[in-house]
Amino acid sequence: MSKRLDTKARIDRGRPLTFHWDGRTLPGYAGDTLASALMANNQRVVGRSFKYHRPRGIMSAGVEESGALVTLGDGNRRDPNVRATTQELYQGLVARGQNAWPNVRFDLGGAANLFSRFFAAGFYYKTFMGLPPFEWGRGTGYWMTYEKLIRRAAGMGEATRLPDPDIYDHVHGFCDLLVVGSGPAGVAAARLAAQAGLDVILIEQDFELGGSTLNRAEQATVDLSDTSVRVLTRTTAFGLYDNGVAGLLQRVTDHLSRPPPDQPRQRFWTVRATQTILATGALERSLAFGHNDLPGIMTISAARCYLNRFAVLAGQEITIATCNDSAYGAAVELAQAGAQVRVLESRTLAPQQLSQRALEAGIEIETNTAPLLARGGKSVEQIEVARGDGTAWRAGGVRACDLLLVSGGWSPVVNLQSHRGATPVWSRENACFLPGESDGSLHMAGSAAGIWGTDACVRSGEAAAAAAARTLGRTAPNVDAPRPGGWHHPIQAIYEIRVPGRRLKSFVDFQHDVTSDDVRLAKREGFVSVEHLKRYTTLGMATDQGKMGNIIGLALMAEALGKDIPEVGTTRFRPPYTPISLGALTGRNKARHFRAVRRTPMHDWNRAKNCTMTDAGLWRRPWYAARGEETLQQAYIREATTVRQAVGLCDVTSLGKIAVQGPDATEFLNRIYSNPFAKLAVGKARYGIMLRDDGLVMDDGTTWRLADTDYFMTTTTANAAKVLVWLEELLQLRWPDLKVHVTSVTDQWAACAVAGPKSRQVLEACFENAADVSDDSCPFMGVLQGHLKNGIPCRIARISFSGERAYEIYVPSDYGPALMDLLWAAAEPLAGCLYGLEALGTLRIEKGHVTGAELDGRVTIEDAGLGKMAAKNKSFIGSALRNRPALNDENRPRLVGIFPKDRAETFNGGSILCRPQTLSGHGEGWITGVTHSPTLGHWIGIGFIAGGHHPWSGKTVIAADPLRKGNIEVEIVSPQMVDPEGTRHYG
Amino acid sequence: MDNPSPLRVSALLGTRHPGIYGNQEGPGLELGESANLTLHQVAFWTDTEAAVKAKIATAIGAETTPGPGQAVIGKRGCAIRIEPMKYWILETIPPTLTADEGSVVELSHARTCLNIGGEKAAELLNHFLPIDLRDAAFPANAVASTALHHVAVTLWRRQPSYRLFVPRGFALSLWELLFESGLQYGVEVR
Repeated sequence: MSKRLDTKARIDRGRPLTFHWDGRTLPGYAGDTLASALMANNQRVVGRSFKYHRPRGIMSAGVEESGALVTLGDGNRRDPNVRATTQELYQGLVARGQNAWPNVRFDLGGAANLFSRFFAAGFYYKTFMGLPPFEWGRGTGYWMTYEKLIRRAAGMGEATRLPDPDIYDHVHGFCDLLVVGSGPAGVAAARLAAQAGLDVILIEQDFELGGSTLNRAEQATVDLSDTSVRVLTRTTAFGLYDNGVAGLLQRVTDHLSRPPPDQPRQRFWTVRATQTILATGALERSLAFGHNDLPGIMTISAARCYLNRFAVLAGQEITIATCNDSAYGAAVELAQAGAQVRVLESRTLAPQQLSQRALEAGIEIETNTAPLLARGGKSVEQIEVARGDGTAWRAGGVRACDLLLVSGGWSPVVNLQSHRGATPVWSRENACFLPGESDGSLHMAGSAAGIWGTDACVRSGEAAAAAAARTLGRTAPNVDAPRPGGWHHPIQAIYEIRVPGRRLKSFVDFQHDVTSDDVRLAKREGFVSVEHLKRYTTLGMATDQGKMGNIIGLALMAEALGKDIPEVGTTRFRPPYTPISLGALTGRNKARHFRAVRRTPMHDWNRAKNCTMTDAGLWRRPWYAARGEETLQQAYIREATTVRQAVGLCDVTSLGKIAVQGPDATEFLNRIYSNPFAKLAVGKARYGIMLRDDGLVMDDGTTWRLADTDYFMTTTTANAAKVLVWLEELLQLRWPDLKVHVTSVTDQWAACAVAGPKSRQVLEACFENAADVSDDSCPFMGVLQGHLKNGIPCRIARISFSGERAYEIYVPSDYGPALMDLLWAAAEPLAGCLYGLEALGTLRIEKGHVTGAELDGRVTIEDAGLGKMAAKNKSFIGSALRNRPALNDENRPRLVGIFPKDRAETFNGGSILCRPQTLSGHGEGWITGVTHSPTLGHWIGIGFIAGGHHPWSGKTVIAADPLRKGNIEVEIVSPQMVDPEGTRHYG
Repeated sequence: MDNPSPLRVSALLGTRHPGIYGNQEGPGLELGESANLTLHQVAFWTDTEAAVKAKIATAIGAETTPGPGQAVIGKRGCAIRIEPMKYWILETIPPTLTADEGSVVELSHARTCLNIGGEKAAELLNHFLPIDLRDAAFPANAVASTALHHVAVTLWRRQPSYRLFVPRGFALSLWELLFESGLQYGVEVR
């Protein structure tokens, strides 16, 4: 059994806490991890394994944990697969075991273990895919049936399905030197670098600085507050990327019972460091032997950590199995703490000095001995040992114990270096992978570089920092970097203990229940490459990414192949080093901040006038302004009718606006527009179409000549940025000789369309002098610049999208609401209205005016019915390629209007236009927009059909909408469905 | 300069309420707005660089004009080098140029100028901006064109705070984002 001692440790006994484990309330202290607190309460079984539902206990004291994976929190904060070994305890913490029913101590799913010999690698695929003998050679029908059931049984824990209540931040950080890890090497590196004048960030994944020193009997506190080093605790470097970029996850409130409001739960850092030192330490490996996953089996360093850092003695009768020297210090400390300790030393000789001290502490040492099989129900009770005979193991008796500690050697944490593409190098002497070559901006230090002695680790940290400082042009002392190694007595590589003829269940990857037999099965079936081994057995693919098991798996494959480990190779480590939450990746870019919202200056004014808004790209635009209980349809029909009969106001601020200025502005415009611009008079506006290089239409809009060398271009809302970028590209790359500057002034100007037969009356009321806007001062396509009667500067053009007499009036944006007040005061007495995008659509469809829905990148200027706007006597962008034969085929889809044959009928945008006999394939055309036409009194549409409207005159066409409306008979008409002569807007 | 018209309204009207918000240990941040901006873009041609620079220096009352990524504060106004061939002239009227010398366009209403101050100002900005704001890399009067939540913005370190010029249409949305993110440090809205 495990228990809390009264000894000095790093827990704060002045701050007792309670927490909830599987429905029970248990005590702990501030400074505990969930694992140490569970252990202090003698909780042995804390999880169930992934595949066989075997009981699992605490196996480590850190990020490599594979047994104590628990579900933390409740309700919308339920988080599965949390490692109890790294979760800081807080008052009221709620955790429960997972992958078990009814609980981890008694789990009905444990029956799977009885059949475990059948559940080897690839079991489900082999069994259910092409199920023999029923499906031999006849496909995978059974798999399709069973897969759903099999998948349902898989998975570990269950995340909440409720929205995440927490906030997460993204942060960008910059430093000269990033030090990862606060053990002896990291701290020494940070200190020296700071002294050399570098700007240093040091990060530590634990909540305390110190790394492995925290686990020692002699406690020392690391304090860097006397330096300029920026320290981030509870922060993991989850990935390392090119150019010194590191991804960090900082856990800000995960250790607090009640997170303060406004604090993010986590911060996702992108740090750009000129130099990086990885002092990430080393992880102690397990060993493969029978039932090596029983609760009560953990690494030696873990038991040492629980004893010294948390004052928890993990067992009373302790057996320690080792192949290296690191066990002896822990053995003595555990014995001194009152445990009965036995050491199984796999080497032929125990290191003399170390074993002498152990013997003095009352520890029994058996050399040439290793664990063969752990026995016990839900916790280890006995160890069957094996004794070496020089070449193989043979069974060697039984030892009683309640805790088995193992050390299969140490693996430097080279994961982050591997992210950067370095290939680790096998060291036979140290029985581990050492970091490979990396470029001059990345340094390895301490046991991450395979350096085992504390003093050597400090020197190695200083040497790395000095090298980093010198690279950055600072002076730094010369420190010789120690070489990897430092065992007084050689480590003896040992990975698996088995004896001939005994079938043992020996786990290699505890998280995915991969056994040593699975590795050998993979070899027998030909999956000998490490990459295939990984994917076939799923070794190393769980949340720990093979921190504990990968090396054993590689060693076993090498042994099975009769090769050396370096010949077998290793897989590339990939980010993240430890799991990170999706919320942290998302940051604040969700809900209403998913995208930045673009509002016009009249946004609030529109809302106050009961406008319902809609999205137009990032813009919010008025959709319709309902009166009383009006529906959308009632509102837009009324608005469109009012525009045709009186006057309407519409916020059109979102149109793109570009200032085109310079002595060559006229020439520039003449080159980009398909129609002539060379002779546009000052004070006039012109509708223009620009093509792409390939001759298809890019965008349309009006351009106003304000002065000789000063133009004001408008674009569609959708293409504003695209057009500006295009113009800049032309000026910078193609025509750098032209003296033209283009500048987006979209945000500078608020704009309102004033449309309808009474539009001039509205404007007259807005000017001091009504004659300013007479038809002589402002004829069709005329431009005015002046001041409104409230003193606001404005520019006005008489242009029409609705087909009515209409003006677009622009004022500097901050005056937007004042403009609307003025216009509304004039329009309301004339029975005017506000109109939105829906009515705008109605008016333009009636007139056959195109928008982005029609100009979709497949349409030529002729297709859009605007062929007469392509000048014959000048070159312009697209003028050559628009003459390609395929673009001039008579039978191309051309813009048309569409009426329902039965005028009472409606039809849908998106319908395909087909011949009545041929309701299949791509049809003859398509419908891009529909509306009820108040002028015509029935539904109309706009779209494209092969050859345009003439060949279809008098014929019935089907608007096919098979998924919604079905087939509707329609007629094809000219796209100018209302006022084709334009008498209304020329007025 | 003319007195601003009372009809001019900020994009933050109805949202920017002076007060102290968020973290009680704060405020580590001050958020405000320089409303009623006076801002013109002045651009030169390759062969008129020297002449236009001289006119800009005169207009702002300074000895020099700013180099790329810099601002100069003169006796009458300020200038920012915004693009290789373009300046922003702030707080004063721009020089008059002939078309052959260059071009001038008013942007007073095109940007909303946010003031971000306090000891956590750079930290807050670095929640969004991937640029190095440490003193050595971004000293007083450094200027950067960058992106905040995918929106093109201009940052000017005008001591003692930062000026962030954001397109007017996005101003409210970005203000909300900055304000909400700043609550963890405590925010004094001015």
